[in-house]
Amino acid sequence: MTTSSEDVLLSVGHVRYKKGDGTLYVMNQRLAWMMENRDTVAVSHKYADIKTQKISPAGKPKVQLQVVLHDGTCSTFHFVNPAGADAQAKDRDQVKMLLQNLLPKFKRQIDGELEMKSRLLSLHPTLKHLYEDLVISKVINSEEYWNTPTLKHYTESTNMKQEAGVSGAFLADIQPQTDGCNGLKYNLTQDIIDAIFKTYPAVRKKHVDYVPNKMTEAEFWTKFFQSHYFHRDRIASSSSKDLFGECAKMDDQAIASAMKHTTLDLTVDLPQFTEPVPLLPEEDSGEKEKDGTSIHRSMIKRFNQHSIMVLKASHKTNSSSSSSNGSSKTTNNNKVENGMKETNGVEKRPTTDKDPAEPVDKKRRIMEKLHYEDLDSINSGQDAQELKLSKVERYLLGPASQVSQSSTSTNNPPPLSALASVCQAWSSGQQCQRPVRVSAAAAVGALGELSPGGALMRQHHAACMAQLVPQDVKSELNRLYLSGGELLRELWRCFPQPGASNDSEDTPARAEKFYEALLRFRNVKLRPFEEKMLRDLTPLATSLTRHMNQMIDTACAKYALWQQRQAKLR
Amino acid sequence: MKLTVDGLLVYFPYDYIYPEQYAYMLELKRALDAKGHGLLEMPSGTGKTISLLSLIVAYMIHNPHHVRKLIYCSRTVPEIEKVLEELKNLIKYYEKCQGETPNITGLVLSSRKNLCIHPDVSREREGKLVDGKCHSLTASYIREKHEMDDSIPICQFYEGFNREGKESMLPYGVYTMDDLKQYGADRNWCPYFLSRFAIIHAEIVVYSYHYLLDPKIAEVVSKELNKEAVVVFDEAHNIDNVCIDSLSVKITRRTIDKSTQALQTLEKAVAELKQEDASRLTAEYEQMVEGLREAAVARDTDLILANPILPDEVLNEVVPGNIRNAEHFLGFLKRFIEYLKMRLRTQHVVQESPAGLLKDLSARVCLERKPLRFCAARLQALLRTLQVADPAAFGALTLVAHLATLAATYTRGFVVIVEPYDDRHTLSNPVLHFSCMDSSIAMRPVFARFQSVIITSGTLSPLDMYPKILDFNPVIMSSFTMTLARPCILPMIVSKGSDQVAISSKYESREDVAVIRNYGQLLVEISSCVPDGVVCFFTSYMYLESVVGAWYDQGVVASLQRHKLLFIETQDSAETSFALINYIKACESGRGGVLLSVARGKVSEGVDFDHHLGRAVLMFGIPYVFTQSRILKARLDYLRDQFQIRENDFLTFDAMRHAAQCVGRVLRGKTDYGIMIFADKRFSRADKRSKLPRWIQEHLRDSLCNLSTEEAVQISKRWLRQMAQPFTREDQLGVSLLTLQQLQSQEQQDKIEKQVIQK
Repeated sequence: MTTSSEDVLLSVGHVRYKKGDGTLYVMNQRLAWMMENRDTVAVSHKYADIKTQKISPAGKPKVQLQVVLHDGTCSTFHFVNPAGADAQAKDRDQVKMLLQNLLPKFKRQIDGELEMKSRLLSLHPTLKHLYEDLVISKVINSEEYWNTPTLKHYTESTNMKQEAGVSGAFLADIQPQTDGCNGLKYNLTQDIIDAIFKTYPAVRKKHVDYVPNKMTEAEFWTKFFQSHYFHRDRIASSSSKDLFGECAKMDDQAIASAMKHTTLDLTVDLPQFTEPVPLLPEEDSGEKEKDGTSIHRSMIKRFNQHSIMVLKASHKTNSSSSSSNGSSKTTNNNKVENGMKETNGVEKRPTTDKDPAEPVDKKRRIMEKLHYEDLDSINSGQDAQELKLSKVERYLLGPASQVSQSSTSTNNPPPLSALASVCQAWSSGQQCQRPVRVSAAAAVGALGELSPGGALMRQHHAACMAQLVPQDVKSELNRLYLSGGELLRELWRCFPQPGASNDSEDTPARAEKFYEALLRFRNVKLRPFEEKMLRDLTPLATSLTRHMNQMIDTACAKYALWQQRQAKLR
Repeated sequence: MKLTVDGLLVYFPYDYIYPEQYAYMLELKRALDAKGHGLLEMPSGTGKTISLLSLIVAYMIHNPHHVRKLIYCSRTVPEIEKVLEELKNLIKYYEKCQGETPNITGLVLSSRKNLCIHPDVSREREGKLVDGKCHSLTASYIREKHEMDDSIPICQFYEGFNREGKESMLPYGVYTMDDLKQYGADRNWCPYFLSRFAIIHAEIVVYSYHYLLDPKIAEVVSKELNKEAVVVFDEAHNIDNVCIDSLSVKITRRTIDKSTQALQTLEKAVAELKQEDASRLTAEYEQMVEGLREAAVARDTDLILANPILPDEVLNEVVPGNIRNAEHFLGFLKRFIEYLKMRLRTQHVVQESPAGLLKDLSARVCLERKPLRFCAARLQALLRTLQVADPAAFGALTLVAHLATLAATYTRGFVVIVEPYDDRHTLSNPVLHFSCMDSSIAMRPVFARFQSVIITSGTLSPLDMYPKILDFNPVIMSSFTMTLARPCILPMIVSKGSDQVAISSKYESREDVAVIRNYGQLLVEISSCVPDGVVCFFTSYMYLESVVGAWYDQGVVASLQRHKLLFIETQDSAETSFALINYIKACESGRGGVLLSVARGKVSEGVDFDHHLGRAVLMFGIPYVFTQSRILKARLDYLRDQFQIRENDFLTFDAMRHAAQCVGRVLRGKTDYGIMIFADKRFSRADKRSKLPRWIQEHLRDSLCNLSTEEAVQISKRWLRQMAQPFTREDQLGVSLLTLQQLQSQEQQDKIEKQVIQK
């Protein structure tokens, strides 16, 4: 028996699992359940395997505890203490509390990699699609999937923590829908809620204060949508009933304090623009008329505040994630407000140890404003590091040609274009500009011709396709291309580069694997799609996947050819 | 580069030059040679300032006896700072080429608020308070008191300057505000008074318009400036309004209340003084008998504001008997204030001439013209006698005294208007306007006094209007176009929306839902295809507010927010500044921003939207001035009678210069590019189109004059794609950018000659 070696922290009798009564043991390392009158453990979950525990709501007749494992399966334990519901709940809560303490300790032990992978998948919808298409449909196995370079790029890059900013229109995107009977329905997603919280800290604070103690989540958001805070064209009611009336005030204060703490750039500091006539009373100082248009006025104020806060929200995440990036950009705006200000920009010399940052900054701004880059002869990239290339032609033409050149130098003359570009690079003093293949004007012209309506796009094929294909098919096709492309890329990657003779041993095996995966993909994913299209979208059905098929065919042909050669070589 | 302009060696601190800069210098030199005045229009962002500075500095060095001084006036503080930095660059270049600093001192004069380094005083945010506090530390009688009693605070910096500063001259060089402050702080000298003192001898003075145009300030500050000077008014498209404002007075009920209070304070002070020390009042009386001139001997710290009238109108006579006595004078003022109070009580609009006002004054309250004329000076003298520490408290009273003096001095070119209600509301808010209608009044002494006055801006079209309204004869009047290697501006007139409804801000249709929606659609489309910053200008703040309201209801705001962040100018300038700085952040972070703003507002007058800060600018409607304003009507009548300028001509001129000013804000330099959209059907009419500056007109082809929203968007897209291509110096060289050799070639010289459009 395994239990003997472990400490049993708690044992609870009268626990039903899959219609059998037994005892639940909470142990050091795992959670176990033993059928009554048996001595083998029927259920045993290591804590490290357990993702979460769930309990049945308070009012339910059955008192249950469920543990969800990382692989998605779960076990439910039903507490059936004959002493009654209270005792059952007490049993359950004991277990729950204990688990609550124990689980986090083991959380950390579980595979950090796994966690990261699942986070990756949840963060990037495309990866998730890819995963679903390739792994879940068993085209390739999970390990292969994670080893593809695309994924490696994700898993290995450390700076993937780039949070998206807040859309400026997130409030407007909550389109109210009438539900037919005098009501409005707002669709709220987690993204929008996050955006609201990020942008309006005041609302978040309210949310923390009120939910779930004083009202439910739903009530809270209902109130939110009813408040003038959301409807910007309503005048703020002064009554304290409005939950969010305070928020508006808090926002005002936040903005006001931000205003006070921001040293204005001199180019935008409007109040300081003009020099007033000394001593004479200024016009209309202090008199603010209150009249009919103040709805608009407060609305305008809200719009400004909204934009400022959206900007701030995205700024905050920026600076926290990549501090090196954020600091350089914002220097001209966020300055220490006092210090220099107090003495109007000048300190006495003896105490000027800390460099008077403001004047320097100001000067930089002015210089920026009055500098004409085209009148100065100095190249703008003066202080930039010059790129030194040991082999210019390699940079210009890519490594492949270089390799082929070296290996087949005896019989193959180097391509003429390479020579030309090498000469060009020499003549321009190794400065290594990229050879201009087409002029800018010609490029623009070509772009124009290639856009719908241009000479080369007369038939409006693209436009027609785009209009004829329904949205869901389009997204499905997109996914097919995504996963198919991934496989194709892998397969092509397995073929040896021309000239690079030193193949590693496993490439044929790898190639075979991906070749098979590709065929599987064709059968499992592409064919069903084609059939579906044949049923639903007859005129287009074949043309939709023609390109995809073509690509697969080419790859297969290449593979066959390669196989032949390999066989011959051996 | 060193180039020769018509035989004059000019140091130009760049290696390349725009052809129009050279042309500009040529014309400028002609004006200087002729010792006459000039009117020069050159596109914004083509380096006007540096051309002006290089040529005039070179001219001063070569002809030290003809031109001794350059007085450079600009409108806003940032502009002034920019000019100084450019000047610094230029002097540095001289240093580099010649190995020594040229014997030139250039410095700025700004308000006390910007220059004060006194630890307490400079902490005040408001200019008025700084002036007041400064006065209370530096006035002559305060300093006298301090000699008796050490506990009375004075300003150490002023004392320092007074002791040592006046003997030495500023070393050659250029002094910005910060330099002056640093220089002052190092020596314990007051930078403000240092600057006031130094401008008399400095070769180059940079300050704001008021210091030369407003007689109240000019008399104090610029009185002793050399007459052999070149005066430059940069950004001068609004110069007539500055002139008018400097001679106009507006009295509200608040002003009256405050001045009544101030009067009571004065009465009390006089009574006290009479008991304690009657001798001072008698001395003052004696002075009055001798005349005011002697009373004001060289006490530069006492006087903050001089007479509001032009120096040639100031009577050099003995103060009339009935206001010599302090008590009598206060009684006199009291009667005047009561009279004004009575006038403000009216229920209907009154418009009359200053003569009518004078007649009414003498009939009702027995105030004669002569003593009224002395009011401002007499009040000044009284405040000095009473040794008022803080003159800021008497601002309203000073204003009333100014009104008295102005009304009694000028009988022509002014109008008195009493309006019991606001323009647009029915709220009772009586205002008495004493308004100048003739901008030439304030300008005339400047033209008469200085040998060359150059008026220049990016937008002065139509050029012939300025000589008329400012009443002067320019020897040079030119407009320069912009030579371009690629079409870096795209002006378009959008006259209809996608539904073919004509769009216009004209009064009958501006509230039309279709028009507002079309405006909204245009903006949404543009903001979806233009990168970074988009700036819009509305004709008035009222219109902006109502349009934003309508856009919110129509969902335009929501779709705008989907593309860019939205910022809106408000009437609170601090709030607007904050919005602006965030707009800049939004543009710089790549999110892009839309800024809704108002023509004639503070943003349109002072903020540049160069490069990514403004890739497109939209002008919603023609920014006519509020035509129902009675002051405007009076001015239009006056212009018609006096200068034969038709009302419509002037209104269109005024509207178009503001429109041009707004759209001109997007361009700076030839590497910059921007779309300019005039969204109003009426822009395409010949009378409007022809009043746009030449450099915009040239690019406004006929095919761009009557577009619908879609067409405009299509054209913009194509154009933006073109602009996004790499643009190198090689593309520009020889066309819009010249090296010294290219400049010297005969062919170029001829070309440049031809480019100048003279009128």
